[in-house]
Amino acid sequence: MDVSRRTFIKTTLIGGAGVTVFGFSLAPVYAQTQGLKIARTTETRSTCPYCSVSCGVIIHTLGDKAKNAIPQVVHVEGDPDHPINRGTLCPKGASLEQDIVNDRRLLKPQVRRPGATDWEDISWDKAVEEIASWTKKTRDATFIEKDKNGATVNRLETIGWIGGCTDTNELNFLAVKAMRSMGVCYFETQARV
Amino acid sequence: MTEWWDKQIQRADYLAPRANGSKELLNFYAQLLRAQKDIYEFLRSCKNWLPSGELESDLPVLWNALPGFLKAIQSHGPASLAAEAHELAEAGTEAVAERLMSYWLNASDIQFFEKAVLQPYLKWVRESGAKPVGREVSAGERYCPFCGGNPQVSFLQNKETTAESGNRDLICATCLSSWEFRRVVCANCGEERPAKLGYFHSPEFDHVRIEACDSCKHYIKGVDLTRVGWAAPIVDEIDAAPLDLWAREHGYTKIELNLVGV
Repeated sequence: MDVSRRTFIKTTLIGGAGVTVFGFSLAPVYAQTQGLKIARTTETRSTCPYCSVSCGVIIHTLGDKAKNAIPQVVHVEGDPDHPINRGTLCPKGASLEQDIVNDRRLLKPQVRRPGATDWEDISWDKAVEEIASWTKKTRDATFIEKDKNGATVNRLETIGWIGGCTDTNELNFLAVKAMRSMGVCYFETQARV
Repeated sequence: MTEWWDKQIQRADYLAPRANGSKELLNFYAQLLRAQKDIYEFLRSCKNWLPSGELESDLPVLWNALPGFLKAIQSHGPASLAAEAHELAEAGTEAVAERLMSYWLNASDIQFFEKAVLQPYLKWVRESGAKPVGREVSAGERYCPFCGGNPQVSFLQNKETTAESGNRDLICATCLSSWEFRRVVCANCGEERPAKLGYFHSPEFDHVRIEACDSCKHYIKGVDLTRVGWAAPIVDEIDAAPLDLWAREHGYTKIELNLVGV
């Protein structure tokens, strides 16, 4: 049968019907094709942000790559090819989609003032300014240059740093540099991503 | 393992009356599966004979199963396939052997008879412990590690008992065996960048999707057995033929045409 694949494709598309390379009519198939609602998703391999086990996940994102279209995460599942979890996820990891797509997700900084019972919105600039101000004030008041024996220690025991599990290697590098330069001793991360 | 064939036939019989656009394709495929099963059972029932894996030396036995197969295609196939089956039935053994050997050495997805006849033969070769001889096995994870064939369809199936997600396997178009393949990788060119790999779904075929690659513009259909565990990937793939036409309309070429030519 001297029919090339190219010829087959051509007969399929011209007029919308045609026959397959083996002689089957494609008219009814084509008719159903016209009614299909097709959605495109992307699968992205990533790492679960919750704990230091670092399970592999696959994030399904809905979106047809059209300009101005905002991709939306529709599913997160364990990565079956990942050597650590081989497709499995703990209950927290299995609910990752709800961490991303959640109307209760905090999208802006907030502050609760001393003695206040409610959180109030604050701009990013104001938040950074206040954090810097309180950090400097605390450091200036409590910085320890020498210990009781007169040995130089240059440490700050009134500020601590707790790193989140989503912190990347790069963020942790910068955190170490910033905290150590201030003399912060109490420093903990989940550095592994 | 005739159960495997029975499962495919039952699935095709189940889907055909429920199908919309692919009813004719499934009706034929159910009959084709029966004819392939007959070849398989005939080869298995040959006493004091096991396939050597060298097609040329196994042909005299395989030849005995062909008349029934060709008759089935003449009865159930479209006009062009029926006419070709008639010609083959009339042709001598040498002419048919030449065509089978040609496919054996250089398989093509537009050679219906060669592919349909050698699928049950190669399935029995594999199950009997032999290996294909004299056939070039292409290297690389995208080719069947047993016979070097192209992937026909991919499917997702739970392999880890506590896993919710499915491992991906590919089914060989030439010998119908399956092998493990990574999830987020193009089965044609090995592309791994997520932005280049598109997965196209339609509610009409909830457990079947197009797995397309924007780098090589090829695609393969994927059947998700974690959603519909009783599906038969090579049958459900034909049921979802409308997705193939959609993919072609959008510029994608299938890695391997199936036995109904889509």
